[in-house]
Amino acid sequence: MFARNTKIVITLAAVAASISLSAIYKATAAEKYGFGRSLGEAEIARYDSDIHTNGKGLPSGSGNVELGRETFELQCALCHGENLEGVPQMGARSMHEGRRDIEKLPYASSLFDFIRRSMPLTDPGSLSSEETYGLVAYLLNETGVTDNPNLTLDAKSLADIKMPNRSNFIIDPASRFTAEDLEDK
Amino acid sequence: MKNIAKLKPNRRNFIKAGMATSAALLSSTSLAQETILEPSRGPGRTIMEMGYYGDRSEYATEARLKGNRGTGLVGGSLTPLQNMQGMITPSGLHFEVHHSGVPDIDPSEHKLIVHGLVGDEKVFTMEDLMRFPAKSHFHFLECAGNGMGEWMSPRGQNVQQTHGLTSCSQWTGVPLKIILNELGVRGDAKWILAEGDDGARMARSIPMWKAMDDAILAYAQNGEFLRPEQGFPLRLLVPGFEGNMNVKWLHRIEVSDTPWWTHHEVTEYADPRPDDKIRAFSFIMEGRSVITSPSAGMKLNGPGFYEISGLAWSGAGTVKQVQISTDKGDSWTDAQLEAPVLPKCHTRFRMPWTWNGQETTIMSRSTDDTGYTQPTYSEMYKLQGPIGMMHNNAIQNWHIAQDGEITNVRS
Repeated sequence: MFARNTKIVITLAAVAASISLSAIYKATAAEKYGFGRSLGEAEIARYDSDIHTNGKGLPSGSGNVELGRETFELQCALCHGENLEGVPQMGARSMHEGRRDIEKLPYASSLFDFIRRSMPLTDPGSLSSEETYGLVAYLLNETGVTDNPNLTLDAKSLADIKMPNRSNFIIDPASRFTAEDLEDK
Repeated sequence: MKNIAKLKPNRRNFIKAGMATSAALLSSTSLAQETILEPSRGPGRTIMEMGYYGDRSEYATEARLKGNRGTGLVGGSLTPLQNMQGMITPSGLHFEVHHSGVPDIDPSEHKLIVHGLVGDEKVFTMEDLMRFPAKSHFHFLECAGNGMGEWMSPRGQNVQQTHGLTSCSQWTGVPLKIILNELGVRGDAKWILAEGDDGARMARSIPMWKAMDDAILAYAQNGEFLRPEQGFPLRLLVPGFEGNMNVKWLHRIEVSDTPWWTHHEVTEYADPRPDDKIRAFSFIMEGRSVITSPSAGMKLNGPGFYEISGLAWSGAGTVKQVQISTDKGDSWTDAQLEAPVLPKCHTRFRMPWTWNGQETTIMSRSTDDTGYTQPTYSEMYKLQGPIGMMHNNAIQNWHIAQDGEITNVRS
């Protein structure tokens, strides 16, 4: 008798378990896994350092050509050369020609974003917003994109710069985007 | 007969021994009495002496070849394709390229932040990510700069130098679309930014269609956790797309309606054309093949049989055909493709060949299931100008001299 009762209890328990498990599975599939923790805006802002082509993400502050020149001499010239010619022993190529020609960049935001994200090589992230604006102003002037020794850049004026080579970028159709898709809005 | 005891046991001597047996029977002398067996090697290393993580034989010495620019923080290494067998690259011989050194990341502290045009903005720990359903796929990974040094003239001394920036692994992780669907992607979202947690915070724009197709948040390679130089503890895998987009040490994904045109996508990995236009967003590593054996740096040991073997791959699909020419491109013969032949994956090809001892040039060309056939250099020069050396997938020629020396040549 004892054995028989146990068997019935186990069977009932198994049926109950299968009902509740299938209910949970359906709920999960219909809704969400629910893993991960939701983020608030302040927390996202700590990591969201990229610059969009329309200037979204550019920080407050400003910097001019003169600050850029000083910063370049202190922080950049060792590898990039006094005249942006590049120091091969340090691994830097010329910024005047080839595939790293600053004057051929499609957006000034590409330059600001890269300097802020990756430079200087040995201490990335150490430049202030003012120094970074100044560096972009200095580099655009040195490479002939702008011709204004008093150029001062901030979020608005940097986003307004039209790079002369922008229209020479063509889009590989295999990317499934067209030039029209990527026109500036 | 009298020297048989001194003979080392190899195939030829077994035959001699067989003949000796007949002779022995005739002279009614027992061979058994005269044969001295080669002494046993005796016991080897004990299990206590073996490592907890297996090492290869000290006689297996194939190695990556390092290259660096100046400081070594921007550098990489190349896979020894001339030594590779089959289609898989051992994780320790996988090529690497990095832009601010290899970071040391504690997986218990690593986070992936996903934000932007999504319903929920969330942060995931590695533990969170590993709870999602996972997938494993075999895929090659190739740097867009593989063969850039070859663009204007043949320079590499061997196939490691000419083609060593491609490798192939089984990758395991969460399909990115599971995460994006979990958070809910807004209708106007067309791009994601994938950002690494290395010093350079390497960042690339990836089309949303790719993110929702076959992209993987990979945490494992060839059955174990990623190697540090492959992005431990988490990397993006966008199968068939140029290596640089497979962002390592992945810590942030931002969803947006427009691409970022980051440094790497507009300078290093864009393609300047002969007409001064610049081709951008050329993501797909198109069909390519190379003979890995015999190849430059090797020497054929006289006329006779050689198996020609190599690798073919396509970032656009599956390798359908590899043809080989052993007469400078005059005639072409189909090579055998060794199973498994998988999409966006290295495919091993083989062809038997008898060298007649005459000077010649050998080469391979691949066709994938989109109908794309690997181009010649002269065809490629029409697409890309002198500094457009990225995405070089031209046919590779190996010259065989009469003395068997093999060198890297253009035609």
